[in-house]
Amino acid sequence: MLRHETILLLVLVAEWFYFNAVGRRFGTLDNTFDIMRHSAEIGLLALVMTPIILTGGIDLSVGSLLGLCAILFGKLWRDAGMSLPMAAACTLLIGAGAGGLNATLIAGLRLPALIVTLGTYSLFRGFAEAITHGVDTFTNFPDSFLALGQQHFAGLPTQVWFFLVVAIGVWLLVHRMTFGRSFRAIGFAPEGARFAGLPVERRLVLAYVLAGFVAALAAIIYTARLGQAKADAGTGYELFAITAVVLGGTSIFGGVGSVHGTLLGVAAIAVLNNGLVHARQPREVAGMLTGVLLLVALGASALPKLLAKLRPPRHAPAPLSSPTHPS
Amino acid sequence: MKRFLALAVCASLVLISGCNKSSEPGSGNGSGGKKLTIALMPKSKGNAYFISCKAGADEAAKELGVDLLFDGPTDPDPAKQNEIIENWITLGVDVIAAACENKEGISTALKKARGKGIKVVTFDSDANPDARDFFVNQATPEGIAQTLMDEAARLTDSEGEFAIITASLTAANMNEWRKDIEARLAEKYPKMKLVDTKPCDDLKDKAQAEATNLLSAYPNLKLIMAICSPAVPGTAEAVKQAGKTGTVKVIGLGLPSENRKYVHEGVTQSVILWKTKDLGYLTIKAAVDAANGKLKPGATDYDAGRLGTLKIEGESIVLGKPFIFNDANIDQFDF
Repeated sequence: MLRHETILLLVLVAEWFYFNAVGRRFGTLDNTFDIMRHSAEIGLLALVMTPIILTGGIDLSVGSLLGLCAILFGKLWRDAGMSLPMAAACTLLIGAGAGGLNATLIAGLRLPALIVTLGTYSLFRGFAEAITHGVDTFTNFPDSFLALGQQHFAGLPTQVWFFLVVAIGVWLLVHRMTFGRSFRAIGFAPEGARFAGLPVERRLVLAYVLAGFVAALAAIIYTARLGQAKADAGTGYELFAITAVVLGGTSIFGGVGSVHGTLLGVAAIAVLNNGLVHARQPREVAGMLTGVLLLVALGASALPKLLAKLRPPRHAPAPLSSPTHPS
Repeated sequence: MKRFLALAVCASLVLISGCNKSSEPGSGNGSGGKKLTIALMPKSKGNAYFISCKAGADEAAKELGVDLLFDGPTDPDPAKQNEIIENWITLGVDVIAAACENKEGISTALKKARGKGIKVVTFDSDANPDARDFFVNQATPEGIAQTLMDEAARLTDSEGEFAIITASLTAANMNEWRKDIEARLAEKYPKMKLVDTKPCDDLKDKAQAEATNLLSAYPNLKLIMAICSPAVPGTAEAVKQAGKTGTVKVIGLGLPSENRKYVHEGVTQSVILWKTKDLGYLTIKAAVDAANGKLKPGATDYDAGRLGTLKIEGESIVLGKPFIFNDANIDQFDF
């Protein structure tokens, strides 16, 4: 039986061939780099969203936090007179701190993640708008900084290197360390995980603080890519990130999922968005097709199970010799 | 399973590197009788104002025999305009014509386009000057102010008291208009008197309240001029409710659709804006001529086809005088 990730990979390859056939310049290296640059921020958010959703949680505040961090980064640099590396370091700390706020409320007070992050979703965006009164924007960053979002380093767009580091880090965390197993255990049954002696609170804190930290990193990359920090930066990114994670096969109920699935999810959406422009289709089609893609991919993985259920059993009753047959 | 994944990833990498060698030469610029591709970007796609700009753009594209791409953000993400422009750069369009939502942000992408030899024209709202070749300007501040003042004078036989409702006393563009309105008043209409200027915070209900106050404070008021778009219907509602329809005239800067009802009822006499269809037409016409070399930097006038000869101030092509919508013509416009 095909795994969800395999189906998604096939979809991605199909997208690639289709757009390459209809778009003259879709397959060029330049365009491949464009796709990577445009999906770096949402990709980063999707990566750190994966462990959170694995624990059965969710973080709706990452897009707003991206906006807030972009504003604070600009503020620290322009108004507080910090050097750019210093401002970046402070922004990353603030991001981690904001993630810590989510973590405290979710892990410490055991409030539902959906409600806590719905609150901070408004709170962070509200702060960003209050600081700038909705009109102040930060621009005129030096070229050396803009290179982070607009230039290449060692053959790849600069921000892709950051993305790769985070991707490898999160992959190792989820798939090669005990952390990953505890995330899944919490997702399956938080009380069970607690009784099994897992430090549930500490693991949750790790997941949400990491999300805050990476949202701040995404904010800096976003600012460098646009050359502008404005209070509406990253509006709606949390939903794109969640879509990519779920498309990648991670169960929204937690417990099941993979980081490479998320990467494929991000790629499938990014290629679709970009490819439609090359196929000269209007942008609104992308929204529709992303929805269709999500439903088809989820349906395709559910279908075999459904068929297996519907198929009449051939050797009924089941042989007694295999009573623990996994179904 | 993992091996399969790894293989597939390798295969797609080979695919990528194989494909990029085949990027075709010679596409992109419009030499050799190839059809030009013009990409037109509104601030947002659903906006009625830009949809009616597009109608004019379609007309120009048909007349001039060029391909027109029309795309823009459908959600409020400021990075979207940049992404679409960068996609267009890769796509190899000949000209990009954009209405800029984020001046600084979009300028980085437009500069990149110019670096690749793509001509850039802005319309409606400008980018940084070094990020575009020309700006198609729908109206100059003096043009707007003079049309408003002249229309006020025409409706009041050039005498009597009038008041202004503005968005805020600090908004830069409105203050420029007010300055030009006062200059025109001092220069041409000595018998008219501006008695008060009230801010409405760009809110319709506040405009209505301010207009009601003005009506009771100045019983001899002959006209109210609303220079931000929500204030025009707001003022009209106040005048209507005070039972002064026709005795106190209302004019303003706004969208025909928002004021159609009051214009037909005779509360509002004139709504002033530009013809958005002409703005779209001129944008595409200028884009095509910038690409084929007919419109050169440094030119001072421009033959804009059915729009006649237009002035170029610096690098901005001025659409001309604003258009006056009134009872006779307002139904012809759907934005």
